[in-house]
Amino acid sequence: MDLFLARLFDGLSNGSTYALIALALVIIYKATTLINFAQGEMAMFGAFVVLVLATEQGLPIWVAVILGMVFSAVAAAGIERVLIRPFDPYDHLPLVIVTLGLFLSITALAGIIWRFDPRAFPRMYPAGTALTIGNATLTWYTVGVVATVLIVAGLVTLLLNTTKIGLAFRAVSSNIESSELAGIRVGPTLQFGWALAAAVGTLGACVFVADPIRQLEPSVMVRVLIFAASAAAIGGLDSLWGAVIGGLVIGMVQSIIVPYVGFIPNEMSLATAVIVLMLVLLFRPSGLFGTARVERV
Amino acid sequence: MSESANDIGSDAVATDSPRAKTIGDTLLDVKDLHGGYGPIRVLHGLDFHVAEGEVVVILGANGAGKTTTLRALSGKLDATGSVMFGDEDLISKKTADIVRMGVAHVPQGRGTLPELSVEDNLHVGAYIRKDKEVRADIDRWYDVYPVLKERRHQRAGSLSGGEQQMLAVARALMSRPKLLLLDEPSLGLAPLIVQDLFERFRRINQETGTTMLVVEQNAQLALSIADRGYVIESGTISIQGNAHELMHDDAIRKAYLGV
Amino acid sequence: MSARFIWSANSREARTYKIVGWTLFVIALVLFTFAYADTAQIEIFGNGYALSLPRASKAIAFMIAILGLQVVVGYTGQLVLGQSFFFGTGAYLGAYMVADHNWPWVLSLLVVVPVCFIIGAIFGLPALRIKGLYLALVTLGLAATFPSIVQLDALDEYTGGASGKTVSSDLVPPSWLPLDGISSIFQNIPFFGQYFGEGDLSSSESERIWKFFLFTVLLAICIWLVSNLIKSRSGRALRAIRDNETSAAVSGVNLAKDKTLSFGLASALGGVGGVVYVAELGIASPLDFTQLLAINFIVGLVVGGVGTLSGAVVGGIVIAFIPDWSASTESFPGIPERWLQGPTGVFILGALLILLTFVLPGGVVAGMRRIKGRILQIVPQPPKGARVPTPPDGADAELRHEADEITAGVAANDPLTDEPKD
Repeated sequence: MDLFLARLFDGLSNGSTYALIALALVIIYKATTLINFAQGEMAMFGAFVVLVLATEQGLPIWVAVILGMVFSAVAAAGIERVLIRPFDPYDHLPLVIVTLGLFLSITALAGIIWRFDPRAFPRMYPAGTALTIGNATLTWYTVGVVATVLIVAGLVTLLLNTTKIGLAFRAVSSNIESSELAGIRVGPTLQFGWALAAAVGTLGACVFVADPIRQLEPSVMVRVLIFAASAAAIGGLDSLWGAVIGGLVIGMVQSIIVPYVGFIPNEMSLATAVIVLMLVLLFRPSGLFGTARVERV
Repeated sequence: MSESANDIGSDAVATDSPRAKTIGDTLLDVKDLHGGYGPIRVLHGLDFHVAEGEVVVILGANGAGKTTTLRALSGKLDATGSVMFGDEDLISKKTADIVRMGVAHVPQGRGTLPELSVEDNLHVGAYIRKDKEVRADIDRWYDVYPVLKERRHQRAGSLSGGEQQMLAVARALMSRPKLLLLDEPSLGLAPLIVQDLFERFRRINQETGTTMLVVEQNAQLALSIADRGYVIESGTISIQGNAHELMHDDAIRKAYLGV
Repeated sequence: MSARFIWSANSREARTYKIVGWTLFVIALVLFTFAYADTAQIEIFGNGYALSLPRASKAIAFMIAILGLQVVVGYTGQLVLGQSFFFGTGAYLGAYMVADHNWPWVLSLLVVVPVCFIIGAIFGLPALRIKGLYLALVTLGLAATFPSIVQLDALDEYTGGASGKTVSSDLVPPSWLPLDGISSIFQNIPFFGQYFGEGDLSSSESERIWKFFLFTVLLAICIWLVSNLIKSRSGRALRAIRDNETSAAVSGVNLAKDKTLSFGLASALGGVGGVVYVAELGIASPLDFTQLLAINFIVGLVVGGVGTLSGAVVGGIVIAFIPDWSASTESFPGIPERWLQGPTGVFILGALLILLTFVLPGGVVAGMRRIKGRILQIVPQPPKGARVPTPPDGADAELRHEADEITAGVAANDPLTDEPKD
């Protein structure tokens, strides 16, 4: 039982990180039906900016995090304007290629600037345990991460449902042509989506490496992207809360099911996530909460 | 569906009164409009105009360039020529700016945002407005078309075809346009629904004075609510005249009215 | 703009042009082989760089893998990103057959090809339902799992775990082959002889030459097979799937069969590339086959030109040489040294990928063909008795008359051919 609880807590903290990156993927997918393969790398780069602001400039960590999120948002808005907008949003191949190019360039740029030595990330949540049940301990980190995810998902939902830019974003997600004919400027609206996604993603990367057992280095998010994409797919790729739940499910699968099921070796958690992704896409392509889209022929 | 089909009877009687409306100055003046998709040129020099308060219909066969004409007016494709809207030329202006100048366009098919609620659709229609009367306008639409009120929180995609088309029109009118462009509103709808829809267009035009440019294949119905009409063939205007004349023109009767 | 020269396909000029072109190409290749069999360094902007045969052999391995991507992405239009998975599978399986079972390298292909074909075809089955971006996601995920699969404890004794699988990569040239004789002929060419070293070839030099020769032949066979496939009925079916799956299906294309064939063939080519890779390097290590390699293959595919066979050759050269070359470059005019010490090559590849998508969507090959089209056009032979048609203008005509593979690659990205979205 203790072991189960310990793993449950583990799953919660991992899953919450996946949920944040999944949220970022879903925001861009909703707007453009595009999967941004560079989402994790953009987030990693933002986390480095946060690290520099916190350790070299001495800013309080949460101030640094918010500035880092703003930095990422601005950078992503620029990327959208220069590299994404010129392409036809319905022609996926060039867009996928551009995001793959971003994946390579951003990883390499981080490697050139910050090298590949892992660095400790400042604590974002109080140290110590919040709760001990038998031998299982619930750390403040886990509590903080879960709270962060819920707050962020809540804020994003609020932003999209109650503001004018949110209304424009939802309109463009639903039908680009009709939105344009209602006077919505589609380009800036999608740009807003990219900025929002990058900010959320950066927070996700910070939360991930703020775990005392992890460190920040340029390739830290490479695997996370696959887990997050599986999470987003479980949620249906266009559902915000679906992404949160999907993230937690993947976190649980990784830390509970994989160790319990003897024949799945531990190193296979990534493969398990890929298999889950494949099964979801095969048997329930709109995920658990997604809206089924009619394929454009 | 049956509900809206039922109330056309009474509506038709109520509004079948002699037309008493004022036709104003020229609102839209199109000269020598050329346009198309990349290398495929569809429009080869169109000339037509729409006066304030008028309902003008453009008739034509599939592929004649009706939809392309409307898309050119809305800035959805590259066009050359002159499209004077009041004092301004719409050519090479962006769609979002054209909408802000007072041109609303209901595209072919379902011009709704299917994933958004009915009420959000109406809010999107008022996206360019900054005044405080949006709420009142929405309520007015709910009075005009109670089905929208009943289903205000439902996804627009769950409405029937006729209801969606009406919602699309309401959404377009939420921007309080000077000119409403309607692209084949009858497409894919049952005949009774279409009659009801056109009757509503007539009333909107009479009550609000909104100028309308309607593109249609259903010539008889479109001409019945129109003041004037044009026939477009292979990207040029071949016939023009007032609605009454066109309805009795032999060539048109043969080609479009099927008699 | 019309081309400078317009020749009919069976005219004497066109035939001479082809024969001379290919002869020059083969001669250049042979000269290169003998000139760079040693590992002497050449100077590029003041940095020593060994433009040696082992690197060219690695490029061939990549070319074969990218050729596979041409089949499944370029011709069938399926967004498959996971080629590194099959490249790795081929490398490990080849190394295992040769190292643990003493099979000759050539025979190891007889295991690798069917195994990769079957695995690829199995992974192709879900692709009957998973499409577009989702397929890209799943296949990239698959590529990401490869290193952890070969490092499984259960597979340790076959794969060598984290330290990788070593294999002797000896491929000794047959004794009847007079490599030394050929080398001395080159050495005696006036003025240029100095580039071919002195005296007999060392055993490692002649081995390198032999390997490069074998790999080149293997590449040529692969290109020949794929180009025949493309021209066949199945090839037309694949292109029909790419252009419009639904209309392909209603026109009688057996989607299940042809897509599976395409996936299988692409994966088999990935496997063959992997065998070449490990036969050259002598070791397969898990971290060589990450999703970074998978994305590099996409770089090669796009930079060379999606949907062109020669694009695979260009792409292989790009992804084999650029990272290597930038790793050995310590100074470059106008660039701070600090910027050259990190993964500069990866950055260049990423930037190149984005840049080409903007300026040359058909890849390097399409660009070269466009330039060539300005100078020379070879038009198909008209039917007997028919008048020779006047070819229409410039690039347009080139598109129409060159092998239809170009049209495919360029048209896929050409805004002019976009259907009106109405």
